[in-house]
Amino acid sequence: MTRPTAGESIIVTSLPMIAVIWIAAFFVFPGFLPPLSPRAPSNEIATFYREHAARVRYSMVLLNWFSVALIPLLMVIVERMRAMAHRTPVLRYCTLGVAAAAPIVFLTATVFWLLAAFRPDRAPDLTQLFNDLAWITFTCGVPFLVAQCLFLAGAVYLDQQARPVFPRWVAHFNLLVAAALIPAAFAGLTKTGAFAWDGVVSFWVKNAAIAIWIVVMAVVVGRTKPAGAEATA
Amino acid sequence: MRRPTWLDSPKRELWLAWGATVGFYNLYAVVFFLITRTQPPGQPSYGDAGVVSWFASHHDGLLVGMAFIFALGGLSSTSLALITYSIRRMSVSRAYAYAYLLVYAVAAIPGFLFICVAMTAGAMRPDRSPELQRWLYDLGFLSFSGTMGVFLIGSLVWMTAILLDKNRVFPKWFGYLNLCNALTEVVVAPAWFFDRGAFAWNGLVAWWINVFVFGIYTGVFITLLRSMIRREDFGTGPLPDLPPRKPRRSPENAVATAAS
Repeated sequence: MTRPTAGESIIVTSLPMIAVIWIAAFFVFPGFLPPLSPRAPSNEIATFYREHAARVRYSMVLLNWFSVALIPLLMVIVERMRAMAHRTPVLRYCTLGVAAAAPIVFLTATVFWLLAAFRPDRAPDLTQLFNDLAWITFTCGVPFLVAQCLFLAGAVYLDQQARPVFPRWVAHFNLLVAAALIPAAFAGLTKTGAFAWDGVVSFWVKNAAIAIWIVVMAVVVGRTKPAGAEATA
Repeated sequence: MRRPTWLDSPKRELWLAWGATVGFYNLYAVVFFLITRTQPPGQPSYGDAGVVSWFASHHDGLLVGMAFIFALGGLSSTSLALITYSIRRMSVSRAYAYAYLLVYAVAAIPGFLFICVAMTAGAMRPDRSPELQRWLYDLGFLSFSGTMGVFLIGSLVWMTAILLDKNRVFPKWFGYLNLCNALTEVVVAPAWFFDRGAFAWNGLVAWWINVFVFGIYTGVFITLLRSMIRREDFGTGPLPDLPPRKPRRSPENAVATAAS
């Protein structure tokens, strides 16, 4: 028995368009280039939101709309996992258990950013509070992405058949991405240096890793032929 | 390098998930009880100054401990996956399995991510106004203890599946233990009304009894999942009993068997 795969190509081919929106929104948000410093005092943060309220709103509305657009790609990956040489669906369930939460953590961060920009004339301490909640959620909120990479790596390693669904390097690649994401979880520990939320590791390495992961996995999924799934699945 | 034999076992994914579940709950206990010392929780009756000094005395532990959850908290999904699998193995509709998975998967955000974010925000800026620190303190503890429906409905879903099941995946008494776990969430609700006494979020009822039941429940289900994996025959009928313990072979017998 084969499962229908109609429409999967739409999900995969729509990703470049969605990626353009993500990247555009990333550059429109004035707090990413350079990333807002965790050392900035509250009146500076309040001034930032007063001066850039409109751009914060546009960019974060876009990211709020489209961050969840990652979920269909994740579900195509889960569908591909059906064809892997696993005896049980348990790794698929592991992945399903984190797939929704991963983008929704980011969605939560956009809500905090939008709240900060909603009333820029609010007391600076309150604006700073929303700003902190947004940045901590955005930067440290990687547990579901990390787990997803680990589950996927495990699934690929255990897919021992003559023609595995994904090539083995996809497993190594996912471990590497997980390793690149983990340091961001520790961003709360310092306000300066590479590990701070505006630092090289916690901001640039982490976000580049996510971007590369999306591109690579979209290409891998696009290139692998959807295989007929087992009837037991 | 020699390939470990368990890797060729048809149960390897189940064992991997089970190992990760054990690892996750150990990490969870170490982080919340030892590193962050957010369990037992701080007092809900603290005023602004009390909260500020609570954050000061927990500063390093909060930041380090929450970071571990930020890094590895997603492994909680392995226990959901195994429980979902256990329900799928029962003679009940898969609706129960998927309901359990979704309830817990989505609840991770208010259930444990919010406390990590709130406590990190509080510890990161000890000079924030005390009133706002107290707001973060409330957010942290109340989102953690007060995300109740997940355990209430999730446990009832699992309980109903176990009681209906004819495949003997779990003993019936464990179905009723699920009811105990569900009831602890009912008695947590007063934590939203009281800031001192037995019903407060650190009180006898809402914390001590709750944690006691949850601890037993978690230990029991991890053990029962292990026995389910050992019994799994990949069929659709009743799960067989555990195989009898193998008698320990004396070295001479082993040699004799190998030679024959």
